[in-house]
Amino acid sequence: MAFSTTVSQRKHIKRKAPRGFLKRVFKRQKPHLRLETSGDLLVHLNCLLFVHRLAEETRMNAFENKCGVIKKEHVQAAAKKLKEYGKI
Amino acid sequence: MAEAMADSYNGDSEPTTRTLLRRVLDTADTRTPRRRRSARVGAQKALLETPSSRRLSSPTKMNVRRHSHRVRSIGRLAHVHTSGNVEEQTPRTLLKNILLTAPESSIMRPESVVKPVPTPQVVQSSRRDSSRGSLELQLPELEPPTTLALGLLAPGRRKQRLRLSVFQQGMDQGLPLSQEPRGNASASSLTSSLNLTFATPLQPQSVQRPGLARRPPTRRAVDVGAFLQDLRDTSLALASPDPGKPAELLAGKAKKVDAHAVSFPNNSSAISGEDGVEPLQDGVDEEAEERMEESLSVSEVMDTTGTQGSVRTEKSKRHREMSEAVEAKEPEGSSGDEDISGRRASPELASSTTEFLQARQPQFLEPALPPSTAVLSSEPLEPLPTRLPPRARTPGPRPRQDPHKTGLSHYVKLFSFYAKMPMEKKALEMVEKCLDKYFQHLCDDLEVFAAHAGRKTVKPEDLELLMRRQGLVNDQVSLHVLVERYLPLEYRQLLIPCAFSGNSVFPAQ
Repeated sequence: MAFSTTVSQRKHIKRKAPRGFLKRVFKRQKPHLRLETSGDLLVHLNCLLFVHRLAEETRMNAFENKCGVIKKEHVQAAAKKLKEYGKI
Repeated sequence: MAEAMADSYNGDSEPTTRTLLRRVLDTADTRTPRRRRSARVGAQKALLETPSSRRLSSPTKMNVRRHSHRVRSIGRLAHVHTSGNVEEQTPRTLLKNILLTAPESSIMRPESVVKPVPTPQVVQSSRRDSSRGSLELQLPELEPPTTLALGLLAPGRRKQRLRLSVFQQGMDQGLPLSQEPRGNASASSLTSSLNLTFATPLQPQSVQRPGLARRPPTRRAVDVGAFLQDLRDTSLALASPDPGKPAELLAGKAKKVDAHAVSFPNNSSAISGEDGVEPLQDGVDEEAEERMEESLSVSEVMDTTGTQGSVRTEKSKRHREMSEAVEAKEPEGSSGDEDISGRRASPELASSTTEFLQARQPQFLEPALPPSTAVLSSEPLEPLPTRLPPRARTPGPRPRQDPHKTGLSHYVKLFSFYAKMPMEKKALEMVEKCLDKYFQHLCDDLEVFAAHAGRKTVKPEDLELLMRRQGLVNDQVSLHVLVERYLPLEYRQLLIPCAFSGNSVFPAQ
């Protein structure tokens, strides 16, 4: 075989949720509240979706500017747009 | 011939393999096998009968097995003989070599390696074990060729190993291949009580094949110095909680530090005290000595229980790596702490320090400072009354940010993965900022939702409401769909209730 038949990701993205990190962040922000066990998984899901949306928007901005590289401005514009749509 | 046979028969209460072999050699003719086939077979049959008669007299399972084994081996020998061998080196010669070269071993006692004549002290039940034991025991004594023999004689793998080793021997000795497996099989079965080497008397295999020789395990010498150092440090750490007084603790540390005899100006007692004692805990890092001196002076000057309490907990956190016993300190420190602020700060500090420890171990200087600044910066709960400004600003927010950043970096990586385009570093920093804001907003919203439901715990319903508000979940797309789409299987199982057999649902509602 000249090359592998499978397409491999260059960076192997971890699929694990950083549950400890999420719990810690929540505790730091709202120490008087408690987060349930499954709650932090849903928080992770929310984060994933947020990051997904942000990335999509950023990419669109970059394409519109015909840049091959994502720049700070693209990210900022994407974040603003999401805010006004109510990403919260 | 007959007399010899008779002698051998009479003399031995239980003939050994060696004697059997001798008998075979004696009875078998040197002439070509085919001619004497009938005679030989007859002789061997006689042989078979006699052992069988003897065996039957003392019936044990082992015996029977051995007997059948012998029968089989003898049969094989016969086969070998009958199969015919034209060359000079016959099985006979092979066996003769064996008899010559193999050290005699008593069947019963594995220790007695060399005995002039087979004196069969037979313990039949243990015969097999002892024979094998004798083999194994003789391993270190004999040269590597024995390893080969052992490989040959291992009962389970006899055939496979035989082939290989036999082949190698054939290569060395120029023996024909076809003969050897069979000859070996028979010989090995017969002579399992003997140490067999098919090698001609003087050829150590290892010399020719160094790779086959068993290498002694290479062991690294233990660094005694480092070990003792660690021992001292851990004992110091262990000893410290006993008095339970920070003063004594620090005094103990002070004594240790005295050797270095440096005194540093002390600006901020509390923070530097914390900083100083922390690296003290490590005990291994020389750089931390500076801090230790500071802490020395600090300890003498400062008396706030808060600092000491936090110091204690910090110490305990620090030493977690070194010894488990340190963890006992934690509850000690936290329980003994009178200062609320100290207590409040310490878990956060501790967590931050542990995070930091996990993240970056070699940097000892910085963690000293960061916890203090972390205390300063992350004080939404209860502002510490007697907090002096941090000494150094530059490494300030690091320990707090670093574990935070490592957690965020996970999502930043996901962002760059979703983007599929190269990104500038500034853009990545921007993404981090966005994530920070996002988390803040998220926590606020969850708080509001939980309060609206009259709860103090955030439940998955709150999360679902949040996502609904964001427009991710609507009537077409339910939360479960999103869960299935984005989360890996393990998390899916935890989140989506699934019915199992026996009328049970997991996770339980």
